Amino acid sequence: MLLVVQAALIAVFFAFLWKRDAAERLRYLIKVFAALVLGAVALGWLMFPIPRP
Amino acid sequence: MPRCEATVSDAQGVRGGRAALPEPVLLALSWLVPGLGHLLLGRRLRAAVFAAVVVAGFVIGLALQGELILPQAGDPLSYLAAIATVGNGILFIVAKLLGLGDGVVTAASYEYGNSFLLTAGMMNLLLVLDVHDIVVGRKE
Repeated sequence: MLLVVQAALIAVFFAFLWKRDAAERLRYLIKVFAALVLGAVALGWLMFPIPRP
Repeated sequence: MPRCEATVSDAQGVRGGRAALPEPVLLALSWLVPGLGHLLLGRRLRAAVFAAVVVAGFVIGLALQGELILPQAGDPLSYLAAIATVGNGILFIVAKLLGLGDGVVTAASYEYGNSFLLTAGMMNLLLVLDVHDIVVGRKE
């Protein structure tokens, strides 16, 4: 849940920082949000076999 | 000083929207209050969104018992974290004055809180760079 909230904040921030047009912003927002959430989940799965110290 | 479409810069200062301020002052205000730099340059919507995002990140970070990290001798990474922490501007100052942001290391949400606090600070520092880019005409 916290991951999703942070991804949303970052996605909104960069969408407004880099894009001017509303439609372009929305597309970029979705892309960044998806990349952050899916990337974090994928990284979590990749790290699963690594034992904790 | 360079010129851009939305702002006019000259030896005396930067004029954007309702403000006529020298660029260093504008950048300092941009750091101090999230979104204020964009507001002074007439970017109201972006200013509101940026302020909301940075403040939300900061408040969530504090609520999660994160720590406002300051430099600690023997811990080089704390210097980098301190840059991000101080990047929160007035939010950092007010939180410190109120005695907030000491962090609870044993809390389950401690690292998550740190992540939010550091992210908010880095975003605010990016806003300062963005204001600079707008002023010098690299960005509209």
